[in-house]
Amino acid sequence: MLYDIRLHLHYDYDSPAQGGRHLIRVAPISILNVQRVIAAAVTCDPKPDRETNFHDFFGNSVTTISYNNAHDHFDVRLAARVMVEDIHAPADLSPTLDGLKADIARLWSVQPESPHHFLAASQRVRPDGEITAYARKSIHGSHSVLSMAMALCLAINRDFDYDPKATDVQTSPNEAFALKKGVCQDFAHIMIAGLRGLGIPAGYVSGFLRTNPPPGKPRLEGADAMHAWVRVWCGQHAGWIEFDPTNAMIAGADHISIGHGRDYADISPIVGVLKTSGKHETSQSVDVLRVE
Amino acid sequence: MDMRKERPGSTQLTRSLIADYVLKPGVPDEMIDSAGNIRPGWSTLMSAFDALGPTELAARFERADQYLRDAGVFYRKYDGAEGKERAWPLAHIPLLIDEAEWALISHGLVQRAELLETVVADIYGDNTLVQRGLLPPELVARNSEFLRPMVGIKPTSGHYLHFCAFELGRGPNGAWWVLGDRTQAPSGAGFALENRVATTRALSDIYGTMNIHRLAGFFRGFRDTLFAQARKDGGRVGILTPGQHNETYFEHAYIARYLGFMLLEGEDLIVEDGQVMVRTVAGLKPVSVLWRRMDASFVDPLELRYDSRIGTPGMVDALRHGSISMINALGTGILETRALAAFMPRLAQSLLGKPLDLPEIATWWCGQGSEREHVIKNFDNLMIGPAFATNLPFDDQRGTALGSTISSEQKAALLERIANGGADYVGQEPVQLSTAPVYVDGRLQPRPITLRVFAARTDKGWTIMPGGFARIGSTSDTAAIAMQRGGQAADVWVVSSKPVERVSLLPRDGEKLVRNSPGSLPSRAADNLIWLGRYAERCEATVRILRAYNARLAELSKSDLPILQHTRDYLETIDVDAETALPEGLLAAIDSAVHSASQIRDRFSPDGWLALNDLQKSARRFATRVQPGDDATRAMTVILRKLAGFSGLVHENMYRFAGWRFLELGRRLERGIQIARITAWLTDKDAPDGSLEMLLEIGDSVMSHRRRYSVSAGTQSSVDLLVLDPLNPRSVIFQLAELRQQIEVLPGGIDDGQLSPAAKAALQLHTDLMIAEPKDMTPERLETLAADIGMLAALVAAAYFV
Repeated sequence: MLYDIRLHLHYDYDSPAQGGRHLIRVAPISILNVQRVIAAAVTCDPKPDRETNFHDFFGNSVTTISYNNAHDHFDVRLAARVMVEDIHAPADLSPTLDGLKADIARLWSVQPESPHHFLAASQRVRPDGEITAYARKSIHGSHSVLSMAMALCLAINRDFDYDPKATDVQTSPNEAFALKKGVCQDFAHIMIAGLRGLGIPAGYVSGFLRTNPPPGKPRLEGADAMHAWVRVWCGQHAGWIEFDPTNAMIAGADHISIGHGRDYADISPIVGVLKTSGKHETSQSVDVLRVE
Repeated sequence: MDMRKERPGSTQLTRSLIADYVLKPGVPDEMIDSAGNIRPGWSTLMSAFDALGPTELAARFERADQYLRDAGVFYRKYDGAEGKERAWPLAHIPLLIDEAEWALISHGLVQRAELLETVVADIYGDNTLVQRGLLPPELVARNSEFLRPMVGIKPTSGHYLHFCAFELGRGPNGAWWVLGDRTQAPSGAGFALENRVATTRALSDIYGTMNIHRLAGFFRGFRDTLFAQARKDGGRVGILTPGQHNETYFEHAYIARYLGFMLLEGEDLIVEDGQVMVRTVAGLKPVSVLWRRMDASFVDPLELRYDSRIGTPGMVDALRHGSISMINALGTGILETRALAAFMPRLAQSLLGKPLDLPEIATWWCGQGSEREHVIKNFDNLMIGPAFATNLPFDDQRGTALGSTISSEQKAALLERIANGGADYVGQEPVQLSTAPVYVDGRLQPRPITLRVFAARTDKGWTIMPGGFARIGSTSDTAAIAMQRGGQAADVWVVSSKPVERVSLLPRDGEKLVRNSPGSLPSRAADNLIWLGRYAERCEATVRILRAYNARLAELSKSDLPILQHTRDYLETIDVDAETALPEGLLAAIDSAVHSASQIRDRFSPDGWLALNDLQKSARRFATRVQPGDDATRAMTVILRKLAGFSGLVHENMYRFAGWRFLELGRRLERGIQIARITAWLTDKDAPDGSLEMLLEIGDSVMSHRRRYSVSAGTQSSVDLLVLDPLNPRSVIFQLAELRQQIEVLPGGIDDGQLSPAAKAALQLHTDLMIAEPKDMTPERLETLAADIGMLAALVAAAYFV
């Protein structure tokens, strides 16, 4: 499926920012057998004094920009065309938990795709006894790693309310867990914490959802903003599989990925340091249109 | 030289110090060898001690302590939320090590440093060690010291490690073992220097006659290497410190001063166009080498720890562009991981083709099957601790314990966690240490010791400091070595059989003398200097008013007199409550002065710092017991004298560099403002009787007034003397003349004949006063003048503290 994606992030400063520096991670990357980026362009306004690009450890595309002078607003725009493969839900080739443990132990690698990176605590997702207990309860009766991940994905969707007012971008997984409310970012973090607690490698995916549903299908939750979901390492044969706990599904042709990391901190759309005394207003708009 | 010969005929009634030295069975000792003989260097030292006699020896050791106190050497001890400054705990007897044995240690550590470099270069480079099965992936991927943004970034110097420290202990078999590798931001080299200075201050005659290797050559080699690297890249060398709250901040300031590097905090730096720049009073200047004393993850809040408040945004980007050398590279802290010790023998065998000459204590990582079994089986006899810890086992009171001392409940839980994977745990052989003599109440006692040795990379390869510092336990318990638990530090003397080369950091004959340019003053330091000057002056102004007030209160003993009420009202405008003898407002100003000074310890003399601390202590002490009136008058006189002492020490001894200039600016700005304001207040038409006498007293101008005008105080003559008299060092015009002069010689003060905005403002204010008449200086005009001087301060800040 071919998509045209438009993203606009807008920041309005109450008092002008005296220079600033930002890392931007919004441009999708090509992933073999999953999606192919035909074109992607990130533009900033005002024009940065310096702009460089690099790929981070996990292969995500990063734009670094800096401003030396005062500015009262900041706009980031992405225009991209991405071809997403329509893969059918995979057959369950995943092992049991013990089998997974053995698969991991056999892998002597710290390459970016290695599951070893996705087991320990990361900046935003720390081990949490309560979430682990919840995950253990949720997977009861599942035998394969893939079915466990699906069980937890469905449980979170069932037990948590989608409520953008309940949490913000800084909310920790255990806060959101206690509230039983949140948005895609919170659900993804809770699912990651639960899976890692069980010894299953899990990471965070940032991306977009198709805005207009196919005829007869409901509009997906979170389609009007940037989205987040979870990737799970389901053993040597099944590899990485992506789950969307916000929409209780395996991520498929409606999901366009920007990139991934261990949690939000590794792939947040924008990280910045500003010199300003006042507050700022932000807005975000997303359009994902199917071209063909 | 045999010291006993110096005292012919004196009968040695005192027993030799060594006679009471009783060794612990089965524990090797640094002074007495296994056959019970005193080792060579030690016999000279002990004879010298005996020759001095107990009284003189105690006096000598006290001299060393006195030196450390005077030099303000301290470390921070954490026993609550806020760390407290503690005097440096010097163990007075140096640890002596024979040159031949030292050569073995040096050789082993160079080999070790080279292996560590290979390992870390692989971890952040091609990562073949994991693929080849030499390093388990968990130790890298689960390690918080593995900094992913640094993967693939090659250091511009070509090396990851440039300065390392090693903690060594001598085991029961007499051989040295490595207890820990320090590669993140090793501390202690500066303390080693201070130990040397203090110890030799006490024992200079003995030190002079024994052939002890000097330390300066080591520092010189490292300094020259860093300067050479910086010259090649066209920038400066700085020490990156987390700031004054760090436990070893004193050392950062000390080394910066000793080696001539800039002392920089994260906020002093900015990354512009991929280049690290330091904000100085002369604008942004490039930095090429940073000797980092900050843990790597705090260095850049954008790409490393996002919650770091002490970092510099963009630092990783600068490293990516190769524009700066980081000493050591970010991410090298991974080498301190405790579990890594379990793999060093294999890595050495595979990468060097032979075992390490200086091996580490035996370590078993519980992430592997057979090692896990070993730890479970030998649980009681091993130190059990976290695999990813980076501190030394005996410094880790909370996380690490000998298996047999762990409660059965905890033990069961631990064993279960270890059996279920165990990647987070290691078992290590308990450390057995040798002993060395420590001087306690006039006698020698054997105490466990560890040795910290420093290695620096120079253009000729790794060099080892011929010395270092020894940590000595407060009791015979090994765990008592930690300084946080009362341990002490001793100087280490490497004893040669031949005379040693004397080195100093001063330029050698024929070597070109390089002067630092005055533009290198970091803006933050300049800002602190201005505020130090301002607060010190503000204290003085307040104290003078309070003294005059309390003197009158004592004399008239009626607090409702109009002149007293009028003065109280003025003090209230500057947040000082005259009802208290030592108002909180004054104490706060003194605290602020100390706070400003504490951030620029590398910029002024230890004497100045001690004087300021003494002032603060006295004021706090007075606050608890001094009563208003006569008592307070006397207290104010004491404080005034101490303030003058501080100002004198600083102004007489500070080099007339940009730093001094900013301190001077602060003092002049504040004095100008204070005099203008109090003059306005006391020459007001409603001011009560006695106001002018009070003004002259506060302005320290009673005698000048009598001499110049030979009449009783009138408004015009008082204003003339305190505002317009260019010869009175307390007049406003005098301050403006000084300000004008100092501002013009600041960087950019006059550029191609053009005055900077601050220089123009100073000229304008000065000129206005030069042509003014006393009658023009109404209270309103004086208030405006005070505000204008405040504006001048803002202009200086805008120009130099961006």
